[in-house]
Amino acid sequence: MSKPLLIKLLLLVIVFAVVPLALEGFGKGYYYQIATLAFVFMLLAASLHLVTGVAGLLHLGHASLYGVGAYVAALLGSKYGIGFTIGLPLAGLGAAFVAFLVALPTMRLMSIYFAVATLGIGQMLFLVFQNWVGLTNGPNGVMLFDGIDLFGVAINSELGIYYVVAAVSAVSILILNRLSHSYYGNALRSLREDDQCTAAMGINVTVMKIQAFVISAFFAGIAGALWAYTTGYISPNDFNFSQSILILTMVVVGGLGSLPGVLIGALLLILLPEVLRYFGDIRNIIVGLLMFGAILFLPKGLFGEVNALNFARRLLGSAWSEDNSEKGIGWK
Amino acid sequence: MKFSRRTLLALTVASVMLPAASQAADSIKIGYQLPLTGNTAQYGQNFKDAAEIALAKFNASGQIDVPVEIIYEDSRSDAKEGVTIARKFVDDDEIVGVLGDFTSTVSMAAAQVYKRSGMVQLSQTASHPDFAKISKWQFRNITTQNQEGAVNAQWMIDQGITKVAVIAEQTDWGQSVVKGFVDPFKELGGEVVYTEFFNRGLADFRSIITKIEEQKPEAVYTGFFYEDGAQFLKQVAQLNADIPVYSTSAAYNDKLIELAGEAAEGLKLTATFLPTRTDANVTEFVSEWKKGHDNAPGQFPAQAYDAVNIMLAAVAKAYPDVTRESLRDAVAATKDFPGVTGNTSFDENGEPLKELTKATVTGGVFVEVK
Repeated sequence: MSKPLLIKLLLLVIVFAVVPLALEGFGKGYYYQIATLAFVFMLLAASLHLVTGVAGLLHLGHASLYGVGAYVAALLGSKYGIGFTIGLPLAGLGAAFVAFLVALPTMRLMSIYFAVATLGIGQMLFLVFQNWVGLTNGPNGVMLFDGIDLFGVAINSELGIYYVVAAVSAVSILILNRLSHSYYGNALRSLREDDQCTAAMGINVTVMKIQAFVISAFFAGIAGALWAYTTGYISPNDFNFSQSILILTMVVVGGLGSLPGVLIGALLLILLPEVLRYFGDIRNIIVGLLMFGAILFLPKGLFGEVNALNFARRLLGSAWSEDNSEKGIGWK
Repeated sequence: MKFSRRTLLALTVASVMLPAASQAADSIKIGYQLPLTGNTAQYGQNFKDAAEIALAKFNASGQIDVPVEIIYEDSRSDAKEGVTIARKFVDDDEIVGVLGDFTSTVSMAAAQVYKRSGMVQLSQTASHPDFAKISKWQFRNITTQNQEGAVNAQWMIDQGITKVAVIAEQTDWGQSVVKGFVDPFKELGGEVVYTEFFNRGLADFRSIITKIEEQKPEAVYTGFFYEDGAQFLKQVAQLNADIPVYSTSAAYNDKLIELAGEAAEGLKLTATFLPTRTDANVTEFVSEWKKGHDNAPGQFPAQAYDAVNIMLAAVAKAYPDVTRESLRDAVAATKDFPGVTGNTSFDENGEPLKELTKATVTGGVFVEVK
């Protein structure tokens, strides 16, 4: 048995046997909640990883696509009685569809312009959630009364919900892993390193970007559906800019371009504030300091393949670059 | 086996100490989820201060034999955190009831947990129209906009005002402000000539004010908090728009007068709490509050103070058999509770029924209108 396979098997055993056993042992809803939240955010971080880590596009509006998925699932469930089994894939497709629409005019943009465009997309979708009262119920949010059902079987127990969330997240992350470690993933990586060179090799850069953006949105939408169904109530504030930044931070702290790193980054940023709850008001400062230290001493993140500082430098163009020989695309 | 005198002594001491020790451990625990950090932290900190005053007073009163303890958890006004805290509170078998959260959206998300697990939740501020309807476990100590809107509508009609423009912030609360006012106002024969929502923190109200003026209403009804309110009033004054402004208890805050200055003169609003009142409980709360603060308490800390007191009174009523169920029933049975925000009862939905006070700004202070 090869080593990577062994690690994967070990991870599966941990996710589907060790953790649930431990959770059952504690018998606390609190730990289940944190586990669920951790899976949702690991999936979100993994989906952003495809766009930002692998394809090297700074995406500042990921939470809004997560929101589209959550709204699709919650509205289908509460208004049209379409349950989890069908709502889950539809949430992914809905988010992917919205991402496709907004991607068409924006994906030709480069570097910092792309980042600003995604920032705009995030704000735009947030304002839609907030102000299109007729569809989204506006700031009142959407309450979802039904729990998770799988093909007509209601899943009510904490353990059952855990397994559903864990299975959906694990399969999604596995697909994202396969994608980022394939020829396709390598093409995206070449895009990250030098898009002009990639285009010169005959790869259609714009199409690649749109694909990565839409696939990533699909999985963000899935995460949104998981959040909607496990919480039972969503409102626009769950998907604002600070959530986008939180997801981006997970990717950067974990390591740009490395999926295991990104997953660990997500775990850290969900678990750390909870572990530090004991410290009261200063816990956010501690988290901030840790993040600051991480980027200062581990600029590649925990497991990254790209140096985050170089990434930012290249993205912001040569205006910010000390190395004048490097060709910048942004501000000059 | 050596059974020395010292061991015996220790045992005796222990046996004497034991009841006291177990009594201390038997304190009744209440959870309070509120934003202590993040961009709504100023509200949460005030709630905590108000709760501490109420709790110290209750524990000193000796109404029940055991002390009550409040466990504060910081939700940062983030739904993720709110739900996690709710699960944490529910897990702790010693916690029998919960106060909070601050914003409606976090309260609503946490409410799903309390509904499933059966824990009474009393929010001092959640104003979402559906909050108290979620289940029999949700209560709130903030007047609904249906109540405030109706009083304001009647007030305007009494003043001979029949043409009104309505503006409110684009939040769940702002929506309920408009609905709560427009329906009764139309029933009383009034006409709403203009309705507009604005996003919180809007810096420039001039275009809205100009549009309001075009419609020539006799008054404006507004749903805003004091920050936006001060901005709006200043700009109304700058544009010389001579039009009476009516508002809700959310605008009731000394900071509004501080920020708007002269422009706040003549603002009319409904309120449940006036620190200038001379009722014994109000003066007591205000003097306790001023020990730790420079300003008199606003409406929100007062609501938190009452919410905590209502919860504590329910604990005393249910004592000695304080369970999550018995506490819920005791809260639901609250009738004419004499709080600083007026007498409070809960209807069958967990909505508070309060008397509202009409107030206006005269000479830089809020004055009750009889």
